[in-house]
Amino acid sequence: MTPAGTTALVVLVTTLVLVAWLVRPRGASTVDFYLAGRRVGVATNALAICGDYFSAASFLGVAAAVYVSGLDGVWYAVGFAAGFVPVLLFVAAPLRRFGEFSIPDFLGRRLGSERVRLVSVGVVQVVILSYLIPQAVGSGITWQLLVGRGLPGLDPYGTGVLLSTTFVAALVAFGGMRGTTWTQAVQFLVLLSALVWLALAVVGSGFRYTEAVSDLSATPLANPVPGADGWELRVETDQIDPGAAAAFGEPGAAYGPLAQFALILTLVMGTAGLPHVMNRYFTSPTGTAARMTTVWVLGLAGLFYALAVMLGTAARQKIAEAAGEHAWLQGLTTDGVLRVPEHALPVLGRLYGGDVGLAVIAAGALVAVMSTIAGLLLAAAASWGHDVYERHINPRATQRQAVWAGRASTAVVALTAAGMAVVLQPDHLAPSVPSIVAAMVTWAFAIAGSALTPVFVLTIWWRGTTAAGAVAGMLTGGVTSIGMFVLGLLPVGPGLGEMLMTPTLVAAPLAAVVCVLVSRVTRPPSDVESQWLVLHGTAADRQAERLARLTISSLGKGRHGRRKGD
Amino acid sequence: MDDDALRLDVDEHDTPAEVDAAFRTLRRVAVWHFVLFLAAVLGVPALSLTLGWWSGARIDGGMSPGFAMAAFGLYVFFLAVGLAAATLSSAVEARMLGGAHEEAGDDDGEDAP
Repeated sequence: MTPAGTTALVVLVTTLVLVAWLVRPRGASTVDFYLAGRRVGVATNALAICGDYFSAASFLGVAAAVYVSGLDGVWYAVGFAAGFVPVLLFVAAPLRRFGEFSIPDFLGRRLGSERVRLVSVGVVQVVILSYLIPQAVGSGITWQLLVGRGLPGLDPYGTGVLLSTTFVAALVAFGGMRGTTWTQAVQFLVLLSALVWLALAVVGSGFRYTEAVSDLSATPLANPVPGADGWELRVETDQIDPGAAAAFGEPGAAYGPLAQFALILTLVMGTAGLPHVMNRYFTSPTGTAARMTTVWVLGLAGLFYALAVMLGTAARQKIAEAAGEHAWLQGLTTDGVLRVPEHALPVLGRLYGGDVGLAVIAAGALVAVMSTIAGLLLAAAASWGHDVYERHINPRATQRQAVWAGRASTAVVALTAAGMAVVLQPDHLAPSVPSIVAAMVTWAFAIAGSALTPVFVLTIWWRGTTAAGAVAGMLTGGVTSIGMFVLGLLPVGPGLGEMLMTPTLVAAPLAAVVCVLVSRVTRPPSDVESQWLVLHGTAADRQAERLARLTISSLGKGRHGRRKGD
Repeated sequence: MDDDALRLDVDEHDTPAEVDAAFRTLRRVAVWHFVLFLAAVLGVPALSLTLGWWSGARIDGGMSPGFAMAAFGLYVFFLAVGLAAATLSSAVEARMLGGAHEEAGDDDGEDAP
């Protein structure tokens, strides 16, 4: 490891430990551990949501997808950013006003059913594991680049996976939601700074975005593939017009016509069902604050993804130009094109900032991975600790016991994800998708968007939703999306295969229809009207705002009184 | 009990009729903004697939309109839709919910000794 890499790692780890220690929870209450006392402000929560959401798939994966597929890769950025619009319109404010601990807690109490709670715990855990594994894969890839060495008995990839998940699990277990919120906010700022620095360096060197897109589109898009005599460049076939070669600035390099829409809808629908992101809304003080938090997130997400797309384009052009001049690039490229697309940003960082640049980008990637792992582990802890342990295993648990159950579950989930990431080495998986990390995260989005989002939205906006309908909807969405994945892994042909791997277009409407049909023939909870007042009324918001004004007013009076006394 | 404590004791509540009216208005706001959002987010790739000039024309020396929209235009649009919907929804809630109780509470506060 270079001195710059060592410094970046030490600074990163020290900062995160320091922030987690400074804002550690002061008590042993579950509201404090899981929800930071429900007092996280709009800006802080928006930064923390961004830290939670912008994972390895966003930082390494979007640039990699653009690098390898051009416009078809940009749809990842569009879908990831767009996902927060439905969250704002349909979910954020009512979810916070209902005021529970987790998605299963919300569904269970809204529909008055422990069966709904337990089924949604199962779905949530599948989503969390599907999302955790690519994060752990991302941490392994980054460690390989940044450190290049492994612990005794482990390769660099496995070492990265194991160390990052263990470190984050310890931070989460120690800091709870309060510590995680602040570390995620700091992590997002680090991540954004790394991206802005790289963008400024690239533009400052004379990179012209629009001309680069035009130049790259002038020749057929080609990417390295392993052949009988080593790596060779293969021209990508246009999936829309199979007789032609794909171009960087036009659709078709990775997806056929229907698959393009399937990918975007999968990402758009998935965000509202992501447990680690939705849990953050419970930490807002009011529903209105939750809604405004989402507006901030939309602005930050737009900036982040616009930069990621630009840098993916820059990497395609600049790395090809530099390949002949740098010996270290020879081992990573074939005819000027990277063999592993996720290396695009780190390599660009090294080109423009030397070892320090590589260290900054690699640290950014590790930050992206760790902040998302933190959010996912906390969501897992909330659903195991609160929804299973407190409700079913030990209903008489003390607050301390419940918090310790949450801590134990973070360790178990982290180890499971790390083990699976070590087994699922990216080299074994990467052949046919634009970016393996972005693709694996898309699977998590697909399960969330198919099994949870339709039921979630119906539960918030339709009084007639019943427990039986919700269970049927979740199971239909979950089974259909997973079944379509399995079919998509079989050789069903180009175009159809990609569409089957992004199944929300089919699975979500099916889940919604089944939920509505079953709800129609079963009885909604008897207290639905009183629940409606909490979901869509603002009385609690007004009370919280009144309390906040009073607190500020009494603090002002206290200071004024002290000054008078002086 | 001092003024502030009296103000905190104000019973904030919404009636079912108020909430139902606000809910229906908010649902309309959400659905219309969602339709607008969906038209844009699916319209951009649809144009890329159907209109040659959308991918073939060049803006400012190189980027096609389709690439420009996907690379940054859509993110500005998402923010604009989100901000408009959030502002409108909050205004609807402020106008339709809690107004009478808030005023009553304020009056009580002013009358309190």
